[in-house]
Amino acid sequence: MDIFIQQLFNGLTIGSVYSLVALGLTLVYGILHIPNFAHGALYMLGGYVTLTMMVYLGVNYWISILISIITIGILSVLMDRLVFHPLRKSTPIQHKVAAIGMLLFLEALAQLIWGADYRQMPTPYGQVIQFADVTLTVQRLIIVVAAIAVMILLYLFLKKTFMGASILAMAQNREGASLVGINTNKVAVITFFIAGTLAAIGASLTSPINLVFPGMGHLVILKAFVIIIIGGMGSIPGAILGGYILGFSESIGATYISSDYKDIIAFVLLIVILSIKPQGIFAKGGV
Amino acid sequence: MLKLVNLTVKYGNFEALHRVNLEVDHGEIVVLLGANGAGKSTTFQTISGLNKPVSGHIMLNGQSIAGKSPDKIVKMGIVQCAEDRKLFQQMTVQENLMLGGYVHRGKKSRLRATLQEVFELFPILYEKRSNPAGSLSGGQQQMLAIGRALMAKPEFMLLDEPSIGLAPLIVEQMFKSIQQINQEGTTILLAEQNANAALSIADKGYVYESGKVVVQGSAEELLANEEVRKAYVGA
Repeated sequence: MDIFIQQLFNGLTIGSVYSLVALGLTLVYGILHIPNFAHGALYMLGGYVTLTMMVYLGVNYWISILISIITIGILSVLMDRLVFHPLRKSTPIQHKVAAIGMLLFLEALAQLIWGADYRQMPTPYGQVIQFADVTLTVQRLIIVVAAIAVMILLYLFLKKTFMGASILAMAQNREGASLVGINTNKVAVITFFIAGTLAAIGASLTSPINLVFPGMGHLVILKAFVIIIIGGMGSIPGAILGGYILGFSESIGATYISSDYKDIIAFVLLIVILSIKPQGIFAKGGV
Repeated sequence: MLKLVNLTVKYGNFEALHRVNLEVDHGEIVVLLGANGAGKSTTFQTISGLNKPVSGHIMLNGQSIAGKSPDKIVKMGIVQCAEDRKLFQQMTVQENLMLGGYVHRGKKSRLRATLQEVFELFPILYEKRSNPAGSLSGGQQQMLAIGRALMAKPEFMLLDEPSIGLAPLIVEQMFKSIQQINQEGTTILLAEQNANAALSIADKGYVYESGKVVVQGSAEELLANEEVRKAYVGA
C-alpha cells in the first residue's frame, strides 16, 4: 500500500510536467492545426537555459526559470513568425516538414553550444520529507504545486479575459474570429508565446530530478502527442487529464509491471483508448 | 455610405466579381439577389477584408478600405454575419455574444447593455445563454450569428443568406428581426435567394449573374421587373 501511495505521488509529479507540455502543444494545435513537432526542442532548450543560468552564471533557481520562460517564449514566437506564418497558405504537410526541420536544427544547435553530455541540474530544494511512509523531495512537491498553479492561472486567463477568449475563438473558428474583429496575427503571437513558456516551465521544474541533454525532448514530445490525441486534439481539459492519466499509468506500471517497459505504456494506452474512443476522450468538449 | 467602385475579385484565374458597382446609403436595407456562385458572398468576403480585390475600390464614408485586415474593418463599423455563421461551436451562447463585442472590450458596462438589447431582440438566446452554440437549432444559430454581429454595434451589417435552411415560419420571424435592427439605426446589406421576402423589406436591390451586376433598382422596380420575377420570385 505504501508503495502504491508513493507511486501515486510520483505519477502526480510526472503527470504535472506532461500536462504542461501537452497544454502548450494543444494550444498551438488550435492555431496551426498540425502538431508542432518542434515543441519538444523548445522544452529541451528551456532546460538548458535554466541550467546555464544556474550553473554558469550562478543565478538563483527561480530567476533562472523566469529568464528561461521569457527566452523560450520569444523563441517560440520567432518560430511562428519566421517559419509557420510565411507558410500559412501552404499545405499541412509543409508545416509538418518545417516543424521537423526546426526540431533537428535546434537539437543540433544545443549540441553545438552545450555538447552531447548528460548534465545534472542542481536544485536548492533537495531536502527529503518523510510523510507517514511516503518519501518525497521538496523539488517534487514544488513541481506538483507550481504546475497546478500555472494550470489554474492559464484556465483563468482563457476563461475570464478577452485575450484568452480570443485564443479559444481562433482555435474554434478562425474566420469567425476575424469577423468579430480579432487580430489573428496577434492571437497567434500570444499563443506561441504561452506555449513556449509552458514548455520552459515544464523543463525547468523537472530537470533537477531528470537530466538535461540534447535529446531530452524526444520522449516528452512523443508522449505529449499521445496525450493530446487521447484527450482530443485542441482540447484543454483533455490535455490536463491526459497528462495525469499518462503520469499515473507510467509510475504504477513501472512498479507493478516493469520499469524497463515504462516508456511503452504511453503507446499501449494510445492504442487502447483510440480503439474504444477514436475521437479521443474530450474530442468535442472544448474548454 | 458604403460604395463599391468597379470592384474586381479573382480566385486564381477565375474572375468571381467583374467590375461591380454598388451603393448603400445610411439607414437603407439593400438586397443582393442571385443564384449560388453569382458573387454575393464574394462581395461580402471582400468588403470584410477576407479577400483582396484585384482592382476597384471599396469606400466607407469617403475613405478607401479595400485591402485592410478584417479586424480593422470590424473596428470601422462593418460587421459580417456569414452564410455558414462561423460561430464558436464549443463556447456558450453568452460567450459567443461577448466575443461579438470584442472591438468594444474596454467598455464593459456598454457591452452588458448591448447584450441586454440582443437578448430582448432574441429572447430564446437568453434562455439558452449557458448552452454551447453547437447545440442550438439552425434558426437559433442564425439568431446567435446576427446577435453576435450586433454586439459590435455596427454601422453596416452584412447579412449573408440568413434564411438559408430555415423553416418558413422562422424565416418570416428572421426578416421581422432584420427590419427591426434596421429601424434601430443599422444599415443592412442583405444577400438572399428568397427574393420575395427580401425585397418586401428592402429599399433597393442588385441582381447578380456570374460575377456581374445585371439589374439594379428600387425594391418596387425589381418586383415589377419581368425577368427578375421569373428568375427569383417564382411567379
